Amino acid sequence: MSNTGRNGQPHDTEPKDIDLRIKALESILLDKGLVDAQGLNEIIETYENRIGPHNGAQIVARAWTKSDYKKWLLNDGTAAIASLGFTGIEGADVVVVENTPNVHNVIVCTLCSCYPWPILGLPPRWYKSAAYRARVVMEPRSVLAEFGLVLEEQCEVRVWDSTAEVRYMVLPERPPGSEGLDEKSLAELVTRDSMIGVARL
Amino acid sequence: MNGLHDIGGMQGLGPVPREADEPVFHAEWEKRVFALMVSTLGGGAFNAGEFRHAVNERLDQSQYLTLDYYERWIQGIEMLLIEKGLITQDELKNRFEKLSKEVG
Amino acid sequence: MRVVTPKVARQIIHHGGSARIDAATAPCFSVGQRVTVRNIHPCGHTRVPRYVRSKTGVIERDYGVFVFPDTSAHGEGNKPQHLYNVCFCAQELWGSTASKHDFLYIDLWDDYLELA
Repeated sequence: MSNTGRNGQPHDTEPKDIDLRIKALESILLDKGLVDAQGLNEIIETYENRIGPHNGAQIVARAWTKSDYKKWLLNDGTAAIASLGFTGIEGADVVVVENTPNVHNVIVCTLCSCYPWPILGLPPRWYKSAAYRARVVMEPRSVLAEFGLVLEEQCEVRVWDSTAEVRYMVLPERPPGSEGLDEKSLAELVTRDSMIGVARL
Repeated sequence: MNGLHDIGGMQGLGPVPREADEPVFHAEWEKRVFALMVSTLGGGAFNAGEFRHAVNERLDQSQYLTLDYYERWIQGIEMLLIEKGLITQDELKNRFEKLSKEVG
Repeated sequence: MRVVTPKVARQIIHHGGSARIDAATAPCFSVGQRVTVRNIHPCGHTRVPRYVRSKTGVIERDYGVFVFPDTSAHGEGNKPQHLYNVCFCAQELWGSTASKHDFLYIDLWDDYLELA
């Protein structure tokens, strides 16, 4: 094991080695009283099971059904989202951008993996991948086409590179045929990818 | 720093790799790394800027594209905790060897 | 450092994380102004990607005052300053082969920008 040396490369890091490396660090920190076992479990449990795109879906469904809420959400995303109880790290300042038939928004962080945790959970691997981050800023239409979304030439594409302290979420268009549905049923239609902006509903 | 993490506009990286029904974490060790990061950063051992600098820019740049995402995190956490004087490289090495012997 | 118990973890997860600073720092730019990203290549931490450096865009929003990462990552203080959302035409960034209907929005601090 080495802190910064070549031994950290995947070729010679067996799964067992990485397991032991984490265990070594974690057990030292536990022994020193610098971290708390239950605290660590609380963090994992929260992001694995409680926080996720279902939070964002509630926001979207509310915006689709209540025009005042939608107006508030687009004007002051942080406050409108906080009113539903979603606040905290990697989401302390949130801006929501609206998709329309003529404007399509898509979110990325080219420098790392910045993503609105309180409302979408942790990002999928593809969002963190070199290919997505490199390409979506330069050739958004071909990346979106890979996701199955072919945009009309006249449709304006807005790419949001969230490399600073503000996090972004896309308000997707309400899908056709959903007119009679209530807020709860609408929330079930909303996908993570539509709130990142790589899909339409 | 002009590191490999600053990747916007780079070409030749192929299609975006996607995964159906992706879990939040892909292995137990990823969960542990994630929780250690939130706990140490949240506890004030280092700040967000120091962490981003460590996992992206201070990394040996030849490793940027080959190391797994959470492997870069563990390197960054170890580096910062050592620099802050909270742990030592020897402690990590000795504990790793002890655990290796126990596993066999 | 503080030990993160479950209670502290919930506090951090649900209420922590803002890099916003309550400081009376005047903005250097205003919404609608044309700005050029400075051609800088810091050796340390920075959050200004290369692909926007030397490019010209328009200040879209002023988000208020935030910690400046280039100094805070090096123990050199928060250097509070305004963070702006800046809009660039895709053709400004990628040339004439990019679609004239495409735009790139990115958040940049005062120190990254100069008046165009």
